[in-house]
Amino acid sequence: MSEMNTPVAAKMPSTEEIALIKKFLSDTTLFLGPDPEIMQNHDLMPRTEDEERAVGKVSDAHIIAKIRDRIQSGCDEGYEMVEQMGAAPGAKWGDVITGVYSASGDLAIASAGGVLIFSALVHHPIKFIIKNWMNDPTVGVREGDGFIHNDSRYGNVHNTDQSMIVPIFHEGKLLCWVASTVHEGENGAIEPGGMPSMAESPSDEGLKMSPFKVVENYQIKRDILTFLQNSVREPKLQYEDMKVKLFACLRIKQRIEETLKTDGPEALVSTLRLTMENVRAEVKRRVSQWPDMTVRTYIIQDSTLRENCVVKINCKLTKTGDRLIFDFRGSSPEFTNRATNTIVAGLKGMLAQVFLCYVWPDLPRGQAAFAPIEVITDPHSIVNCSYDAPNSQSLMSIFTGFTAGQHAVAKFLYSCPEKYTKVHAPTFNMINTFIWGGVSQHGETLGNLCADLNGMGAGATVDRDGEHALAPIFATMADIGEQELNEEEVPFLQLVSKKMTRDAIAPGKYRGGQGYTMMVATKDSEQWGFMTTAQGAKIPPIQGLFGGYACGCYPLSKVKGVDVYDVLMNEPHKFKHSIEELMNERPFDGASYTTHHMGMGFEISKRGELFMISQGAGAGYGDLLERDPAGVIKDIEEGLISPGVAERLYKVKFDPATLSINHEATAAARDEERRARVARGVPFKDFVKTWNKPKPPAHLQYFGCWGDDVGTLYVGSPDITRDANVPKPNYMRHPKDVRIEELEARLAQLGALAEEKQ
Amino acid sequence: MRRVSVDIGGTFTDCFVVWDGKYIEAKALTTHHNLALGFNEALGKACHVLELDQEDILSAVDSVRYATTLGTNALIEHKGPKIGMLVTAGFEATVPLSRARGYGEGLDNLGQQDMPNAQRPDPLVLPHMICGVRERVDFQGVLVMPLDEDDVRVQIRTLVDKGAEIIVVALVNAVVSPVHEQRIEEILLEEYPSHLLGAIPVILSHQVAGRKGEYVRATSAIVDGYLHSTMYYALSALEQNLRAHRYEKPMLVIHNSGGMAQLNSTDALQTIHSGPVSGIGASEHLAMQAGLGNVVATDMGGTSYDIGIVVDGGIKHYDFNPVIDRWLVSVPMVHLVTLGAGGGSIASYDRMYDTVKCGPQSAGSDPGPACYDRGGMRPTVTDADLLLGYLDPKNYAGGSIPLNPRRASAAIEDALCDDLDCSVVEAALLIREKVDDNMANGLFTELRARGYDPKDFTMLAYGGNGPLHCCGIAQNLNIDKILAPPLSSVFSAVGAGNMHQLHIHEQSLYMVLYDSNTRHIFDDYERFNSIVAELREQGTQDLLRQGIAKEDICHNLELDLRYGNQLVQTTAVIPKHELHGPADVLAIIAQFSNDYGKRFGEGSQAPEAGIRINTIRVAAFVRHETVQFEDIKPVAPELRTAPPKPGSTRKCYFVGHEGAFETPVWSRAAIEPGMQIPGPAIIASDVTTFLVNPGWNFVAAKQGASWFLRA
Repeated sequence: MSEMNTPVAAKMPSTEEIALIKKFLSDTTLFLGPDPEIMQNHDLMPRTEDEERAVGKVSDAHIIAKIRDRIQSGCDEGYEMVEQMGAAPGAKWGDVITGVYSASGDLAIASAGGVLIFSALVHHPIKFIIKNWMNDPTVGVREGDGFIHNDSRYGNVHNTDQSMIVPIFHEGKLLCWVASTVHEGENGAIEPGGMPSMAESPSDEGLKMSPFKVVENYQIKRDILTFLQNSVREPKLQYEDMKVKLFACLRIKQRIEETLKTDGPEALVSTLRLTMENVRAEVKRRVSQWPDMTVRTYIIQDSTLRENCVVKINCKLTKTGDRLIFDFRGSSPEFTNRATNTIVAGLKGMLAQVFLCYVWPDLPRGQAAFAPIEVITDPHSIVNCSYDAPNSQSLMSIFTGFTAGQHAVAKFLYSCPEKYTKVHAPTFNMINTFIWGGVSQHGETLGNLCADLNGMGAGATVDRDGEHALAPIFATMADIGEQELNEEEVPFLQLVSKKMTRDAIAPGKYRGGQGYTMMVATKDSEQWGFMTTAQGAKIPPIQGLFGGYACGCYPLSKVKGVDVYDVLMNEPHKFKHSIEELMNERPFDGASYTTHHMGMGFEISKRGELFMISQGAGAGYGDLLERDPAGVIKDIEEGLISPGVAERLYKVKFDPATLSINHEATAAARDEERRARVARGVPFKDFVKTWNKPKPPAHLQYFGCWGDDVGTLYVGSPDITRDANVPKPNYMRHPKDVRIEELEARLAQLGALAEEKQ
Repeated sequence: MRRVSVDIGGTFTDCFVVWDGKYIEAKALTTHHNLALGFNEALGKACHVLELDQEDILSAVDSVRYATTLGTNALIEHKGPKIGMLVTAGFEATVPLSRARGYGEGLDNLGQQDMPNAQRPDPLVLPHMICGVRERVDFQGVLVMPLDEDDVRVQIRTLVDKGAEIIVVALVNAVVSPVHEQRIEEILLEEYPSHLLGAIPVILSHQVAGRKGEYVRATSAIVDGYLHSTMYYALSALEQNLRAHRYEKPMLVIHNSGGMAQLNSTDALQTIHSGPVSGIGASEHLAMQAGLGNVVATDMGGTSYDIGIVVDGGIKHYDFNPVIDRWLVSVPMVHLVTLGAGGGSIASYDRMYDTVKCGPQSAGSDPGPACYDRGGMRPTVTDADLLLGYLDPKNYAGGSIPLNPRRASAAIEDALCDDLDCSVVEAALLIREKVDDNMANGLFTELRARGYDPKDFTMLAYGGNGPLHCCGIAQNLNIDKILAPPLSSVFSAVGAGNMHQLHIHEQSLYMVLYDSNTRHIFDDYERFNSIVAELREQGTQDLLRQGIAKEDICHNLELDLRYGNQLVQTTAVIPKHELHGPADVLAIIAQFSNDYGKRFGEGSQAPEAGIRINTIRVAAFVRHETVQFEDIKPVAPELRTAPPKPGSTRKCYFVGHEGAFETPVWSRAAIEPGMQIPGPAIIASDVTTFLVNPGWNFVAAKQGASWFLRA
């Protein structure tokens, strides 16, 4: 659905005429698509009359606190139920949230555990229901109803997440909503697992559920359930988790009803409202303590998951008074037929996560924590895509957007007098894991992913190294799982499951937490395949802090033309448990060894073929020449870094046999390197002269602004631009077409195509 | 009956002696360098009461039983050997990465949310002490890569050269095929024979934990290995001490499974938390004897609030993956939840919501609450309790800790009164209300998450602060009956005195009872029956080894079941131990459905998605004679008598009530069974204060049991 240009009116219509036009348009709406009024707004709705009345009646902070705690424990209980009862791998590792929303749809209280980004997104579909279905005679909102939703364009991270939304009534009056959201995985898209990178339009992205009613009288409607099951690869999962989410909502509802009994509806309404308002005011207060200044940063995406290219996420963060403004103008234009775009609400959700987990972890979770923070983007950009653009791989843009925000915020925190946690370098931000699908050894059709995405390396902090494989940037207390349990359900083995990847580091005075190697090979199915969806195989997707370095780059490696299970049984000595050794030594005769970017589309794998990747490292903090030599040696002992790399990077001198440090030689080597740095340096204006180029390079496809001019966006070439405010299609050619053209050109050069009929 | 049971805690060694109908409580300080000394002192005090000597008692009792928190303390203090570890190659980082979430296990919510501060605990096995061995089996136990024995020898040598004092072996899928783990043990014995001085103990993961999950099983084996020598020497010293005092029967050690066994049938991991678990055991015993129905056992001390559930009908609540200190392990442990709320919980101003926050930080015992006058400057729950009039500043903890109300007042005033614009007493009431709410919310979530309604429960309140706060907590939960149990000062030791010898054996498996794809109902009865028979036999052998007669051995069969691909596993206790036809299978399915519906809501069952057994578990046990209490139920209202005149009165303030109440104060010793005291009232003893809120009655019962009943 493209937005239409408003024609210039010959004369201004009168008030009555405007009302008539409005009514006509309202009565003749073809399709209730996502409502920009809802989707672009992340602030709290204004107080309603009911809320005003309730606050006037019950406002004692201690009574409100008591009720809030009770509702909070109800949300936590619901969360635990979903985590325990859920069938989706996402549910099991905590990719879940439950919450209570005001009657206007704002999220007031969310479960303490789970994926925070949901907390900034589910209010959109609720507001859609309120606006469109509440008074619609064919739909309506009644006690006992439940609504389902997954289409990200109506408010979601991506279509693999599904929500169940239940209205709560008291004596016939709508008081609030409860909702529960789970990353379900499979959704019937063109690739299994729910996050297709091959999607070239929203039509390729599987189930697209605008918010609709699926529960009446607290019962899931079987006809609709059957339709949904019929639309996905895992009908069992669809059934189980709809039920689970409904019962979790009903459990929270019980808790609310108990509060209604003991304290009355006004107390509940007032609690929800004041909770949000108090948090919003506290955020304003905390922001006002930050220094007034602007920080500029950017992150580069190195692919669209289909082809290599350079895609800019541009971020300017300005604080003035009690306002904090994220300005993402100048970021890449949206891709019309690539899936790495995000809706702006998704970006805001991840920025909320920056604050709730990395800046003010003491704040309660809910929509209010991000409500007063402003976000500016270009229309139809990769961080604010249009309805027609696919966004199933939105994580690529919201995660890099998150890192841009995290990187910029760290510089404010450094100068902020009151800190609520440590200043830290960015966390690794890509989902370096295997998505899988096919028919299992038990004959079940499955499509989902390995929990290893939860093992992102943490950034170093002001006083210590980052933790290895700590947590995904979108959740806390997430789980990378147990292979023994996974192997019961899927027909492949992780032959290397968790082994630190040597030299895949982010150095600094304090190094980032590292990632680990994963090698998978299908074993017990002839219908099984894998895909990977990450960037950062060529350009690190994060930045270091205060002299610390970004992580390394992590490609995908494949070994084909071998059944590694035969090797393991018959020539086990040939198998090596590291990518480095397998790819360098090439021990299997006749096999092919290749490396790729991390955007592998779904690929059927034959038994025993190896697919190998590594989780990534968080960023380093501070100058690596200041790293304690003992820390370098410890890293060598723990297999994180090779002696050669350690010596070359950190300038540490040691005995390779005993690892004892020669402190004098180390100090001398470091002094020498400092002098060499000075010698390499040039005055800033000379540097600018040689470094700055007027346009992006022609040999790389580049997307986004170049230099300080954020009003002009480059669209894949130094010669193609668009005005940042004027949307324009940005089609990418099919990589196979590109490859065919290249090969044909070579054939033509050789004269081989002369006789072929075109 | 003649029996000695002991709970060796971090501070006190509690002793409970049953001697021909007499029940003697005794305490002594724990002597960490030699536990026998503290035990002898405590037992000596009991001997003094009975006018007998130690040998007379120990030679005549039917058993001596020990519960201990020694292992927990050793873990916290990081006192253990240098462990070397062998894992399947490719899984070397499994333990160091601790499933990612390991950074937050055992922490409060804020600790889990604060990512820049997230830090894993210091490891029990250093990363460079973990070596991969070249081998692999799959989920069914099918060989994928043979064990490279030369590689094993090299890796063992590497670990020993690096100083390994014990070797833990944890291979992938070892519970379905332990062959490689067993072979590694043989190789280790070949290289380091046990009769030679360089012998190195070895722990095999499949022997410590029988369920799948390579990380949790590895941590279980590590914790077991880490504590092995500490526990071995400490408990052996106790056993030798008993032998020296003419005790000739086997010494029994309480397990965290809620049972007990002889020392030679106990591994170190099983002893962790056995003290608090014994407290729950005592609650269960009391509940059965006194016909209390469902009981929620609560122990409120200085820093924490422990909650355990005992349900009428004998359903046990276990954690199969409990967190011990900061480590997620795999051992069936009696379910126990600990909240960060106690007398030492620190109160602070909640700027965001303009109210009071309470905990989870605690002033502990050092410096302790401000009123302890030991340098604590921040207000705590105990400070609030003091200023509200509940505590006697001169007779707190039997007079051993003088309390300074001025310090308490200054701390509350500084931290709260200006911001809240209220008086010290008003602030103290808010602290009181907040901490009681926190505990009530925790308790509510705990019960509700298991499908229970708190109002169907009797609350058992023990620990130093339990009887002081129980009315406030129960009020929030609509609980009408609270029992401060008899013998509460040695309650865990009482629990140890009523444990049965018990061994749990379990097997992880993939057994589909109903396949939703093929619509097939399980019919491989022989497979099921043979597994159950094998597990029964293992338990039987454990008990036979300890001299139990075969005819005295009982078995319980439990199945962990789940729908589809859920994470949750609901445990069903199955009366019939053999399957002979579809009716037996359908009976299991029906029972599972019933249990699941109770827990998560009727209608939440999803059999259409398929039903699987994940674990078969058999508990083998023998019933011992238990300590018989007198009838501790409160007498009927019409039979209750009035108390004597109170010893004094104090001005007290109560949440929800305006102004001060002139509150009568009694000594607990002056209150006879059957006496009823209406609230508000205070009944003080050397170990605790019974605070009776307005609207509640205190009713004394036999054996020192104290009831709080809603008026």
